Amino acid sequence: MTFLLLFVIPAWVLAQDTTITGTITDTAGEPLVGATVVVAGQPEIGTSTDLNGEFTLNVESGDVLNVTFIGYRTQEVLVDDRTDYTIVLELDDQLLGELVVVGYGVQARSDLTGSIASISGDQIANQPVASIDAAMQGRASGVFVSSPSGTPGAGMTMNIRGQTSLSASSEPLYVIDGVPMISEDLSGLFSGGQATNSLADLNPNDIESIEILKDASATAIYGSRGANGVVVITTKRGRSDVATFGFNMYTGFQDITNKIDMHNSQEFLELMNDAARQDNRDIGTNYPEAYVSDFWGFDPSDPDLQNTRWYDEIFSTAPISNYELTASGGTDNTRYFTSFSYFDQEGVQEGTGFERISGRVNMDATATDWLDFGVNLTLNRTIQDRSINDNSLYGVVINSLAGDPLMPVYEEDGSYADPFNYFGWWMLDNPVLIANEYQRYTRTVRGLGTVFGEAGLADGLSLRTSLSIDYTNLDDEAYTPIISRESQNAQANGFGTFGTTQDFTWLIENYLSYINTFADQHSVNAVLGTSFQASNRSFSDIEAQGFPNDQFIKLSAASQVTVGESSGTSWGLASYFFRGNYVYDNRYLFTATGRLDGSSRFGEDFRYGFFPSGSVAWRMTNESFMQNQDIFSELKPRVSYGITGNQEGIGNFASRGLFGVSDYRAASTLVPSQLINRELTWESTRQLDVGLDVGLFDDRVTLSADYFIKTTDDLLLSRLIPGISGFSSVTDNIGKVENKGFEFDARGSILSGTEFSWSSSFNISFIRNTVLELEVNDQIISDSHILSEGQPIATFHLIHHEGVDPETGNMRWIDLNDDGIIDSGDRQTVGNAQPDFYGGWNNTFVYRGFDLNILFQFTYGNDIFNHSRASYENLGFNRLNPTTGAGFPLPDGNNHRLADDRWMEPGDVTDIPRASLTNTNWREYSSRWLEDGSYLRLKTLTLGYNFSPDFIDRFGMRNLRLYMQGQNLLTFTSYTGLDPEVNQNARNPLVAGSDFGTHPQLRTISFGINMEF
Amino acid sequence: MKKLFLALLTILTVFLMSCDILDTEPETSIDADEVLVDGASAQSILAGAYSRMQTTPYYGVHFTLSPDLAADNARYQGFFDSQLEVNSGTVPISNLWIETAWVDMYRVVNIANLLIAEVPDLDDPLFSEAARELVIGEAHAVRALAYFDLLRVFGYHFDMESEYGLPLLLEPIENNDFNLIPDLGRSSVADTYQQILDDLDTSISMTVGYVDNTVMSYWAAVALRARVNLYAQNYEAAYADADAVINSNEFALVNNVDNLFLTTNPTSESIFDLVFSDQDQSSIYTFAFQRDEYNVDPSLTEAIEEGDDRAGLFIFTRGSDRPAKWSDSNNANNVKVLRLAEMYLIRSEAAVFDNDDPNAGLDDLNEIRNRAGLGDAGPFDDLDEYVDALLQERRIEFHYEGHRFFDIVRLDRLDEILGREDFRKAFPIPRDELQISQNLVQNPNYPTQ
Repeated sequence: MTFLLLFVIPAWVLAQDTTITGTITDTAGEPLVGATVVVAGQPEIGTSTDLNGEFTLNVESGDVLNVTFIGYRTQEVLVDDRTDYTIVLELDDQLLGELVVVGYGVQARSDLTGSIASISGDQIANQPVASIDAAMQGRASGVFVSSPSGTPGAGMTMNIRGQTSLSASSEPLYVIDGVPMISEDLSGLFSGGQATNSLADLNPNDIESIEILKDASATAIYGSRGANGVVVITTKRGRSDVATFGFNMYTGFQDITNKIDMHNSQEFLELMNDAARQDNRDIGTNYPEAYVSDFWGFDPSDPDLQNTRWYDEIFSTAPISNYELTASGGTDNTRYFTSFSYFDQEGVQEGTGFERISGRVNMDATATDWLDFGVNLTLNRTIQDRSINDNSLYGVVINSLAGDPLMPVYEEDGSYADPFNYFGWWMLDNPVLIANEYQRYTRTVRGLGTVFGEAGLADGLSLRTSLSIDYTNLDDEAYTPIISRESQNAQANGFGTFGTTQDFTWLIENYLSYINTFADQHSVNAVLGTSFQASNRSFSDIEAQGFPNDQFIKLSAASQVTVGESSGTSWGLASYFFRGNYVYDNRYLFTATGRLDGSSRFGEDFRYGFFPSGSVAWRMTNESFMQNQDIFSELKPRVSYGITGNQEGIGNFASRGLFGVSDYRAASTLVPSQLINRELTWESTRQLDVGLDVGLFDDRVTLSADYFIKTTDDLLLSRLIPGISGFSSVTDNIGKVENKGFEFDARGSILSGTEFSWSSSFNISFIRNTVLELEVNDQIISDSHILSEGQPIATFHLIHHEGVDPETGNMRWIDLNDDGIIDSGDRQTVGNAQPDFYGGWNNTFVYRGFDLNILFQFTYGNDIFNHSRASYENLGFNRLNPTTGAGFPLPDGNNHRLADDRWMEPGDVTDIPRASLTNTNWREYSSRWLEDGSYLRLKTLTLGYNFSPDFIDRFGMRNLRLYMQGQNLLTFTSYTGLDPEVNQNARNPLVAGSDFGTHPQLRTISFGINMEF
Repeated sequence: MKKLFLALLTILTVFLMSCDILDTEPETSIDADEVLVDGASAQSILAGAYSRMQTTPYYGVHFTLSPDLAADNARYQGFFDSQLEVNSGTVPISNLWIETAWVDMYRVVNIANLLIAEVPDLDDPLFSEAARELVIGEAHAVRALAYFDLLRVFGYHFDMESEYGLPLLLEPIENNDFNLIPDLGRSSVADTYQQILDDLDTSISMTVGYVDNTVMSYWAAVALRARVNLYAQNYEAAYADADAVINSNEFALVNNVDNLFLTTNPTSESIFDLVFSDQDQSSIYTFAFQRDEYNVDPSLTEAIEEGDDRAGLFIFTRGSDRPAKWSDSNNANNVKVLRLAEMYLIRSEAAVFDNDDPNAGLDDLNEIRNRAGLGDAGPFDDLDEYVDALLQERRIEFHYEGHRFFDIVRLDRLDEILGREDFRKAFPIPRDELQISQNLVQNPNYPTQ
């Protein structure tokens, strides 16, 4: 007995007596909140650190503490006679960058069960683009980014895993530092189909990381707004460290990626004469030789012919620069990051440009041992100098399309030449006049601010509260000058517009987080919270005309106000959400998520929707049978399924039966404006994702592959209703769209020597979009597009042909309805704007201080309706008398040089028909202009040099880098238009893929410097 | 304790601030079931019917100009297929104009239906019986106008035996619920005419003494009944109505045609002007002048006789004649839906056909010619010669006012003048409507899908 007691008592005494405390920090002295401290071998004895990184635990001397925290190396600490421990955890290099920001929290990538792509801030910083979405192109699988127009500050198109919606929005939800931001175009200025980009309000260099939530497991926490995927943006924060000051700048030049090679005046006249000659042969007309040039009074061989090259007149090289100052640092209790930047992009097209001044302050404070709080604030001003472009009568590019080379830009007296005195029907006004003299600006002031507090309530349990405001004040100003044809035709003496949009959105969120590990085997990470968001928006618009001269553009100078109106709208969203992650033994991972959303947009009984998801993953490499191999460092199959929603793209009051106001005889009247749909509710998307994450050779190579099927039901869509009701449609939940596809990501360190290294990443996505069900099939959406079951969104519906007849040189149009007339009744489905696959390939080479980054980006298999060719491949067709060609020969204008390949003599085999003064071979909405839009592009090439620390230390610098960068340097494509990355109507996905006078993409070469003190 | 307090405080604040965020109200609209509540709102809704007549597919541009574009008065030079198709006389069932016109015209019908159904039972003691009669009466005339315009575009208005009339919706849509829109088939042409005439009779009986040349008041209803009876070939009735308007002493021909058209105000000749102003613009100037789209067909100006004052109603610019009738650059010219000159020509035509005498309507025809500075026409040897002269007179007098195509059709000259097949006398029922209706029948020879 005594013998036994001797053994037992000391142990018992020790266990009773030792209560230790400790602080766990990172190497910078920053406390680590929620780090786990467990006694090895006794998983029931453990705790996690509080908000100050502190813990208290009863232990025995000689115990070993296992201290773990995601993203850091686990440390083992022997309990000795000390009672207070300071434990410093080092970042785990292998896991570095593997912390992933998810909705309402952070997770280790290894613990993820869903599909999330990450882009680090470094990858997108300092690129010569206005907005972050532009910088994301080609960098993640499943993420299709396209710039519909090269206009500075123009909106981008992004869709994640295909287009889920037929109504206006398949754009993802953008969440910046936890705030779902207003990302739509708030401008009311007519611009011909192109949106402004409210993401350009953010300074891309402020961004620490971007996470793209793709599958339902990841997005369901955003419920009714998660169906299009979520882009989670995290901005930079300060660390407890000495103050660091940074200066970054770049400056460079931009040019368009491609110009259309047009005929000169001599060739223009010769083609017109050829058209008459060909008509003589084919339809028996009797035009004399040199008919058109004589008619117009020119001699094609005259060496002194006016020869205007319109593209050269409207495009020129333009500068782009960015300057930025940053400061960051902090003490144990207060940490800060601030930045101030100025971005200035002049457009390559006269009359365009984009400027941004932005400032940011992110502050964090540790107030008490259980309370942290902080503030994020960004305030900025943008000025977009815009011209009208794309599909509009007075666009700059569109009016240049078939520009008559015989027409000068200026007359001899210095005034702008008037196209109505020359020989192109197409040009409605001198494009140089439009570019120079029209004034159009959109200016915004935007503030995005959050105040948050985080309180530790108990071990592992904390409450976070935040209040955020997203405020935009936008004004649009436009002036159409007296000398313009538009004003002259309207006899308006100049007209001006001034409009404002104010959006005030607030958000209050509260959520509890609980992180703990039980018995060393059961890890739990749970979130439960509420979110309330509401938005008020007001608009005004004044239009006036009658200006004294073109020096004044403010409306107070106008003699007559023609429009004065104001209005407003609002919406609200009340939400309750939950997420639980459970990991058993670091092998089996489970996640369940749910969000209950109530939206003001829907009918009272259909207001609330519940969006659940669930997922599982298996970390096979942690199984015992995988321990005796060193190939796989990670092998993780995962499956997720869930439902998310979409409520964007419809009116705030789409479910109501409404009367609006209008007027008659200068009195206000009430008019029915919409029928009721009480049962209106969100679109819901069910998504199944099966994925596999693979890490090879200590994660030197990582692979990730996902297959998904995304089915969207209850599409918010205009439903055709009998017109006898006085309405053609109501917004209703009808139809079904499917996106299924395969995504593949690979990244790896191919060579990693001390002096030279090469790392590479590649991604590719194959996505099939199919409209499964419609209320009414085969809906003709526009003159070029149709919506049909079994076809993808943005399917082309055009008059089709069987090539050029080698005997006559005429188009062999297909008379689908056999009525002897080729007209809109003969249109058929001929292709679509959806790519078969797209992706990117990024390479980074480092040699000593040099680094070289090369990003290729590609898209394959989409068609483009090159509507512009209908104008500059008119081949002589006479607009004044299209059927016979007789009378004054007035073509659209000049032709591009590819018209040299046209049919000239019997037996010629070509796909471009003979010239003709008639419209025999010309149909505006025909597949003659349908082209393959595939391309491969050298998107960015950056060469940098980092000076050695020894060298720059002498100047008190920590970091000095010089670099040069090229953007869109090379494009490989068979597309004959200005640029294959194009979309004439960025606002409507149903009619995507047309090119009609669209501003081309830009090639930029810039030089930059990054300094850190 | 402190922590708990803070947490509770936070949660409380959240609920206080957010309890009503889901109850939002539109700021420039009003719920449809709360809109018609008293006399004032009834008047506003009635005025709204005219506002809906002003839309671009209806009188605001296309319905006013398309009948000239579809015939030989206008030539299209522009970007839009829909107008090009109207111009070429081959209107497919997917034509954008017919699709939108159908809906916009029926919207006016629905506004009238609402007033006719609900004004009698409105609980507003200040809304007198007499005032209600006027509102209801005017609503009947508005409905008649919209149905007659629909009939002229989409129905076989020229054939009283035909089944191809209109779907006749005479009640408001129940609860404004799209699920409750009835799926109506087409009534016969005779029944459609009967409905239009019944509406006009009702209107006329309820609005005696109501004079206002900018709405469908008493005389506008009588004048419209004259036109409807003329189309229906009820010549005696047409004569009587036109005669009543002419002899009412409310209207007088404007002596100088320039004064008739180069104004933005109603004139002494206006029976019903749909009023536009610089604050409430049509888009007719925009299309006819600014955008160079509805150019005057040279055959129209060539057809004008020597010495006709109406030859001055064209402005030559940018390579084409344009209609001076629409030359106010603020789009403020009124659309002259019904004017006195038409009553003279109706009385003339009705007299001729009623009496089977080509010279029975000579005075009225010449009244219009004389006003334009021309000498007398006639006498005519036969009816055919009279119809030629009538069509010529109507063409010159009413160019760009929405008559030409319908005149050619009802006087059966489609093949002769425009060289078109008979089935093109009516435009097709729009494709969208056929797709969603089980009962709607397409006009003969047009595709059904």
